[in-house]
Formats: sequence, C-alpha cells, structure tokens
Amino acid sequence: MAVPDEDAVLVRSAIGGDDEAFTELVRRHKGTVLRSASRFARNPEELEDLGQETFLRVYRDLRSFRGDAPFGHWLSRITVRVCYDALRKRRREEKDVSLEVLAAPVADPSTGNGPSAQLARMILDQAMSRLKPEDRLVITLFELEDRSVREVAVLTGWSETRVKVRAFRARQALKRHIGGDDGR
Amino acid sequence: MDDKRNDRRDAELDRYFALARQAPPDISGIERNFETRVMARIREIREPWYAWAWRLAPIFLALTILLAGWSLSYSPLHPADPVTMLASGTQEIALLDHLTGE
Repeated sequence: MAVPDEDAVLVRSAIGGDDEAFTELVRRHKGTVLRSASRFARNPEELEDLGQETFLRVYRDLRSFRGDAPFGHWLSRITVRVCYDALRKRRREEKDVSLEVLAAPVADPSTGNGPSAQLARMILDQAMSRLKPEDRLVITLFELEDRSVREVAVLTGWSETRVKVRAFRARQALKRHIGGDDGR
Repeated sequence: MDDKRNDRRDAELDRYFALARQAPPDISGIERNFETRVMARIREIREPWYAWAWRLAPIFLALTILLAGWSLSYSPLHPADPVTMLASGTQEIALLDHLTGE
C-alpha cells in the first residue's frame, strides 16, 4: 500500500511535467484500480480499457487534486466514475443477454458443494447485466467489494439514502432474475 | 408462503455473493507493464506527431530501401560530367559532343 505523503510528492512532480513520477503513481495504484474495475469488466480487453481510461482521467485532472484527502481515495472515485460511465454506455448492448445459465443450482459455500466461485461470478454477472447502471454500481460496491453505505455514498457522490434505496432495488431485481420470475 | 420464498432467495443471493467474493478476478496478465502502456497512451494524446512518426516509420524505411536499390542499379549510358566520361573511356563520345556543341 502506498504511503499517502509519497503520493502527494509524486503528484506534485507529475504536475510539474515529470513523467517518471506519474509512471510511479500508476505502478503503485494499478492493482487497486484494476481489481476494482474487474468487477465491472466483461473481459480482459475491457478491463485494460477501463484501467487506461481511469489513469488518463487522473492525468488530465491531476491539477484538481487538492491533497486534503489521500490520493487513493481520489483515485477510487475516478475509477468508480469511469466504470459507471462504461456501464451506462453498455446498457443497450446487454438487454438481450441469455439467462439460461441462471438455472444452475447454488449451494452453501461452507459445504464446498455446488457451483464453483467462477460459476457464481458468471451467474451474478449475467443477472447484474440486466440491472440499471446505478443499481449495478451500488450492488457491486456494496456486496462484492464489501463497502459500507457511507463509503459507497462518498465514492459515487450520491446521498446515503439514495445508495440504500438503490441497493434495496438492486437486490429485489437480482432475486427476481435469479429466481426466474422476471416477467420475460 | 411468499415470505418464505423471499427469504430463501435472499439466502441464495447471499451465497452467490459469498462465492463471487471468494474468486477475485485474475488481473496479473493486465498488470504486467500496464504503466508502460498507460504512458504510451498519454504520449499519444500529448504529442500526436509522435504516434504518427512511429506509424509512418515503416513507409519511410521502405522508401529509403527502394531509393537506395534504384540508385545502385542505375547506370546512365552517357555520363554528363566530361571528366567522368574521359575516365570511363568514352573520350570519343566526349570529343564528338564537344565538337558538335552538344
């Protein structure tokens, strides 16, 4: 994990035109950004695009980083914004996704029976692709990244009430999709 | 009855989430040299000529090779320089050209 003060020094150098400093910032934070973006990407190519787009925006907006909070927090907000924009752009493409895979049974993970973790991810991805972008964003941050309502509110810039409502709606919709009574 | 079904689905959904959390996506392939690719993109945006120069480099190289090959294979019948003509044993042609004023 990067030390925030060192990040601030690197940011100042990068603003001054030091490419090596910006490279070091990318090197330090690429893992966090890519792990977070991977919850939204459909394939490695899309993950690469999301990661690159995040750091391009960071580079473009570097001067707006005030330094009153750790660089990592600022970066997380940009990552979430980039992923949200990608979800909105992709929304139309995924409307006709096949849900046959959702018929797979699921078992208690503690017993070790049932589908693998990869299959669970695939099933969830398919079901979540049918959610509204904002619902998908909230449920991903909330359930898959294990973040609190407050953290999600800070990351998205939405109110805590809005986050709670979105999370509730997303869960209801997911239960309908996975249960197979989504009115299709 | 509906409540029971709802509870069962809640538990089912929680199991899916728990399983999915256990399988963090593999990002190792993309992490490798990621910063190099980001910096290349930044350079492309900042200095568009830089990207074009690299894209056009093979064309310039091919042109250079073609020109070099052509100039090596080119041998004029009548060298224009009189000194060259004398040196290459075409004195008669040079003399004729000189006399006829060509």
